[in-house]
Amino acid sequence: MIFRPTSKDLKLIAWGIGRVILGVGLIMAIPLTVAIASTEWNTVLDFLVGMTACFTFWLITENTCKVDRDLTWFHGLVVASLGWLVAMGFGALPHFLSGHFKSYLDACFDLMSGYTTTGLILIQDLDHASNGLNMWRHLLTYAGGQGIIVIALTFLFAGSAGAFKIYASEGKEEKLLPNVIRTARAIWMISLTYLVIGSTFLFMFLMKDGMAAGRGFLHSVWLFMGAWSTGGFAPMNLNLLYYHSFAIEIITLVIFVIGSFNFALHYAVWTGKRSEIVKNIEVRSFTITMMITTFMLSIGFSKFGVYNSLTEFFRKGFYNLASGHTTTGNSTVYATSFYKEFGFIAMWAIILAMAIGASACSTGGGFKGLRMGIFTKSLWGDIKGLVSPESAVVREKIHHVKDIWIDESLLKGTMLVLISYMVIYGVGGLLGIMYGYSPSVSFFDAVSAGSNTGLSAGLTTPLMPSLLKVYYIFMMWAGRLEFMSVFALFGLGIAIVRGRKVGALR
Amino acid sequence: MRKAAALVLLSTLFLLALAGTLSASVAFTPGERVPITDLIENMKKFDGKVVTIQGQVVGDGMVRGAFAWVTVDDDPFSNKSVEEGGALVGMSNISMSVWAPSPDVEPIRYYGGYKNQGDTVRVTGVFHRACPEHGGDTDIHATSFAVLRPGHGIVHSIQYPKLIAVILLSAVIALLWYALKVRRKSAA
Repeated sequence: MIFRPTSKDLKLIAWGIGRVILGVGLIMAIPLTVAIASTEWNTVLDFLVGMTACFTFWLITENTCKVDRDLTWFHGLVVASLGWLVAMGFGALPHFLSGHFKSYLDACFDLMSGYTTTGLILIQDLDHASNGLNMWRHLLTYAGGQGIIVIALTFLFAGSAGAFKIYASEGKEEKLLPNVIRTARAIWMISLTYLVIGSTFLFMFLMKDGMAAGRGFLHSVWLFMGAWSTGGFAPMNLNLLYYHSFAIEIITLVIFVIGSFNFALHYAVWTGKRSEIVKNIEVRSFTITMMITTFMLSIGFSKFGVYNSLTEFFRKGFYNLASGHTTTGNSTVYATSFYKEFGFIAMWAIILAMAIGASACSTGGGFKGLRMGIFTKSLWGDIKGLVSPESAVVREKIHHVKDIWIDESLLKGTMLVLISYMVIYGVGGLLGIMYGYSPSVSFFDAVSAGSNTGLSAGLTTPLMPSLLKVYYIFMMWAGRLEFMSVFALFGLGIAIVRGRKVGALR
Repeated sequence: MRKAAALVLLSTLFLLALAGTLSASVAFTPGERVPITDLIENMKKFDGKVVTIQGQVVGDGMVRGAFAWVTVDDDPFSNKSVEEGGALVGMSNISMSVWAPSPDVEPIRYYGGYKNQGDTVRVTGVFHRACPEHGGDTDIHATSFAVLRPGHGIVHSIQYPKLIAVILLSAVIALLWYALKVRRKSAA
């Protein structure tokens, strides 16, 4: 029997969302500071409007929705899924007020793209955007990469027993430390340390490559945030092609590959378990799928003959492939080059890499290496079972920080998420074809959105149909949350409409 | 008579088709001004050819020894950027990287950005779909580089409706904060 949620349940959810929106308002202080330092007064006003709107919403929920109950699993799932949508609406205010977006929908698209570390953009005239707006674009992808909820947990949910329920609802199931608040803070510690190191390297090479110090500093921070979060944003329209720098490409490549690894792996290595790098199922899975897609790419390039030297293969082929596989979206070629200069095989190698994606509990998207590992190992176990004696019991295990036996429930959960990804990729691709785009371009951009990658073959523009924009927002959101929270939100809708008895949610 | 008319008609159609084909094949003459969109959409056609582009320099001039990289936009925003009140035309920027001798880019006074409308330049040079010298980058190696029109600073006048919104929302926040304090006090 489906229970209809009580008003207390709904209030608790609204209160949780209010806390998340308070977090969004607080992090707007950083672009606001950049706008003040850059004397961009209209941008300052854009962020003040955004912040005051966020604080108003938070205070309304604090005044009207505070109840003396802790969050349950269901509340956590709904707060995570709905919280992202509401955060999109509020976070889009400075975007829309900047005047660089045709509609509020376009502003929301870029916001969701940033939060989910996707990197697809509908912003117009990016080359004339303010420092404040650029800081916000990159900061939200950096913050989104760690998880908005992680931010809220770090600062605003301290002491709440329901904290883990919200944390896990954001697609992060791993606890690095026994306490989830400490886990969230550990994630931030890792990210901030890399921010300082990565930005310093980028700054040094941008100086060497002829950029002025002030802009070089901002670009180094933005490029780090875009790469580390696997968001792929860049402050100029040409993305990484703008810099014409092999060194910057190498550094960003290293940053986004490291950024795409599981936070649990980072933590294991940080705490001295270096052998984990070699043993971890996700590292192995990533290496194998990277090799397969690189092989496909080289066949495609050799057939097409545009990029011939090893340097060209690395900078135009391998870089974009790795960017796709880690679901980053930084690019060193024009969008049209993917279907005009890469050719069919190379383009589909990138689509495959994007679909597989990065590691679980990282900033990346896609199927994830862990699930690919579980699926492949399970398949291998089935094959071994077929050729073994009937009485033999064949069991497979994977190594991810510790040894994990693959059982029925693990496989079921894995398959549910894998199938959900395939469904959203497929529907997105077909929608594009229905609107008259070529199949390769449709699937390229659809898989890119669903796997939170951000590479585009040219479909994603401000002139794309509104229905596709809405569906892409849905794909980015559902893909980032890995579906469970989204299912929970649908469940809440059904419970409100069809629930028979009033009862507290489990 | 009918046969003759049909023959004339067919000959005319054939000549028209021939003229169309010829005009298409001579649509581009080396050094002619080409919109950057055409270059991006038809890289194979223009690869290795001398082309001319005209537009606004944006971002940075990155000097690397005797040469420098500059970025040229020729989209509608290069005439009037969004920051100057230019219309949203439903596209992103259309940019091309230019590799030019450093002394040629020295006269550039304004690079386009939030605070500036950049100088308008005219560049003639060899277009590379995948430049062998620059690791496969798509670029133009300039043989001639001229600043046609200087850019200018953009004046951003304060947008008062936003200021009013901030004041109103701040007042609402103050009220809600007060209400929250009263509520907490009474609960305690």
